[in-house]
Amino acid sequence: MTGFRQAQSPDAQSPGTEAHGNHTATLSMQQALNRALDEVLAENPKAVILGEDCGRLGGVFRITDGLQSKHGENRVFDTPLAESGILGMSVGLAMAGFHPIPEVQFDGFAYPAINQIVCQIARMNYRSRGKLPMPITLRVPSFGGIRAPEHHGESLEALFAHVPGLKVVSPSNPHEAYHLLKYAATRPDPVIFMEPKSRYWQKGDVDFSTADAPGTGSPTGAKVMREGRHLTLVAWGAMVSRCLQVAELAAEDGIDVEVLDLRWLKPIDADALVTSVRKTRRAVVVHEAPLTSGLGAEVAQLITHGCFDTLKAPVERVTGFDVPYPSGDLEDEYIPNIDRILFGIQRVLEYRRG
Amino acid sequence: MAEISFPLPDLGEGLIEATVLEWLVSPGEQVERNQPLVEVETTKSAVELPSPQAGKVVRIYGGPGDKINVGEPLIVFEVPDNTAGIVGTVPKEEAPKRRVRLSAVLDED
Amino acid sequence: MDTLPLPDDGNAAPPPTPDQLRELYSLMAAVRHLDVSAVAWQRQGIIPGYAPELGQEAAQVGSGYAVDTARDFVFPTYREMGVARAMGVDMVAYMSTHKATWHGGLYDPVKSRLAPIQAVVAGSVLHAVGWAHGQTLEQNDGVALAYLGDGASSQGDVHEAMNFAAVMKAPVVFFVQNNGWAISVPTERQVAGGSVAARAAGYGIPGVQVDGNDVVAVLEATRRAIAHCRSGNGPVVVEAMTYRRGPHSTSDDPGRYRSLDEERSGAGEDPLRRLRRRLLDDGIADDAFFAAAQAAAAAEETSIREGIEALGPRPGSEMFGLVFQETTPALQNQAASWREESEHV
Repeated sequence: MTGFRQAQSPDAQSPGTEAHGNHTATLSMQQALNRALDEVLAENPKAVILGEDCGRLGGVFRITDGLQSKHGENRVFDTPLAESGILGMSVGLAMAGFHPIPEVQFDGFAYPAINQIVCQIARMNYRSRGKLPMPITLRVPSFGGIRAPEHHGESLEALFAHVPGLKVVSPSNPHEAYHLLKYAATRPDPVIFMEPKSRYWQKGDVDFSTADAPGTGSPTGAKVMREGRHLTLVAWGAMVSRCLQVAELAAEDGIDVEVLDLRWLKPIDADALVTSVRKTRRAVVVHEAPLTSGLGAEVAQLITHGCFDTLKAPVERVTGFDVPYPSGDLEDEYIPNIDRILFGIQRVLEYRRG
Repeated sequence: MAEISFPLPDLGEGLIEATVLEWLVSPGEQVERNQPLVEVETTKSAVELPSPQAGKVVRIYGGPGDKINVGEPLIVFEVPDNTAGIVGTVPKEEAPKRRVRLSAVLDED
Repeated sequence: MDTLPLPDDGNAAPPPTPDQLRELYSLMAAVRHLDVSAVAWQRQGIIPGYAPELGQEAAQVGSGYAVDTARDFVFPTYREMGVARAMGVDMVAYMSTHKATWHGGLYDPVKSRLAPIQAVVAGSVLHAVGWAHGQTLEQNDGVALAYLGDGASSQGDVHEAMNFAAVMKAPVVFFVQNNGWAISVPTERQVAGGSVAARAAGYGIPGVQVDGNDVVAVLEATRRAIAHCRSGNGPVVVEAMTYRRGPHSTSDDPGRYRSLDEERSGAGEDPLRRLRRRLLDDGIADDAFFAAAQAAAAAEETSIREGIEALGPRPGSEMFGLVFQETTPALQNQAASWREESEHV
């Protein structure tokens, strides 16, 4: 039997709704990332995608869907199941002049590759006195919120940001995803690209013509997603959209909240933090990762250092807890929810100097 | 929800049509990949066609005795617009809910 | 390939008795019914996801049945429902992992002799070596059974585990279920040389490849391997050749990477049908027995489903209380602030 063939393909990775002379389209983050990778492969013959199930299957989240059939098995290939192998092999590919774009299927499976990421990828440029750069873009579906099994909901940004020699970025919506991935995948240094998996399916307008319209900043900086006068919420990844919701709710109570999408978690755009908080004089940083030694501490220090004289209150942190990321039933207890963020804002608003 | 249609597959050896003997699933039913869908008869033999897809059956074409040509619609499935990743679920978009109200005297000094 | 010598006394383990064969069938029927039902539970919204083991019933029941839960300890992956059932683990507590109640499941790993469900591929093979070496140090005769798949065999930890165990003569059975697929990647693109058991030769330990769809063959090979370990001869690799008939998980779509024809030719004969045929041929079971086994499987599934449906979320306080044996002030503060801001919302 020759077998069934689908009469019409499901719309999961159709190109999205294009409009406005092809400069903008409404895409899910999955589609935006897929398109960015497609363009990177087309523009750079040395770019290669490798990982588990990224070829024929198109990735466990369909981010590489169709890329193997379009660009060939030499450009997009499945590896055996070994994260350390994928990242170690990426080092060798980079030494041979390629730009590897490896995928680790889930955040928690970057741990088996930590040795190669920390001891090799992050240091080869330094070790070789700049002769062996590591243009490696490691895509990691990250953070929680999808009721997945263990090791499928972790936030590793502080771990990566702490390693000298790595850069770290996380997009918050389809537009950011498209531009930040295209930018990251053309850099000569290793970038950990943390994709907020709970936002993969959310659609948004992508303006292909410019990375930053209608916002501000360079592709390497933070971005004001909502302007406000009274308090700055600092967030990244999936927490940006939650903070935008909180800002709307705060407005009902007469509090005008600015939302700053940090985007780059290393290097952090300290100027953007200081500019925003000098204006609002109050700041709350929100992240899913555990509190202790989380990136919120770094953000709070940068704000305190740059805005000490104008701050009305200590910078608050609303974060996950110092516990292993819980099973789905307890996920909503762990991830900062709207009320916990509002409590954090209230603490800052109530603060009076002693 | 999206619909996926499957036509009668080429049953091999140049056969161009088959006769429906019995449908083993009905609209509204959730079927799994490989689950027998329908028994059809060709000029050579009677065969059970297994489902190529997991999903909910929306429509079936042809009743017992009807001929269907290879390539013509046989069955339509309903599948979610968003496919979850290999594990986990697609989060539902819900309107934000709050319990906490903010109160502040903002001295704009 | 079979480099596993017979037990020291020169006699192979006795073949299963008719009672045992019927029990094996009943177990496989219960596992099959629960597995197929769990996929339906996911479609009905009772559980968020599940990793089916359809087609692996013989490999799982046959190996789990060989375990002596008074002495041995088993290290599962996330796809070992049939092993858990054959070992007599509480199945509501086991299936709770798929309801997203608690990652490792709610069963007691110490009492049940089954380590918590392991989500990291090849995550627990080295643990098995450590546990086994502990038996050597304590002069116990327990054997560790480490489950892994063809995909896991690519992980460096598997090499480390086999080498450590061989060097230290640790009593470990590395039980490989080669089910042909690691999500979308077939064994021929995963395992160079095509056999994990063949690697045993490089470590100087016995390796045996067994028909993983023949429950009796699996049981006998596992019993021999455990006996070999228990006699102080060091580790064994058993590779059960089977087939993942279902998707990798309830949200996987195998149509993207393999055809129905490939599935049919790769899967071989259904392991349940095969045992049924054998029991009939040997005259040790009749239609009434099979009907009763099926009815028992259905009743068991009903009871497990009711247990799963009745299972509420764990209290959020467990997030904080189970991190350490000795908690910290910071964690207590976070628990207090969680109670104030989130509990009972």
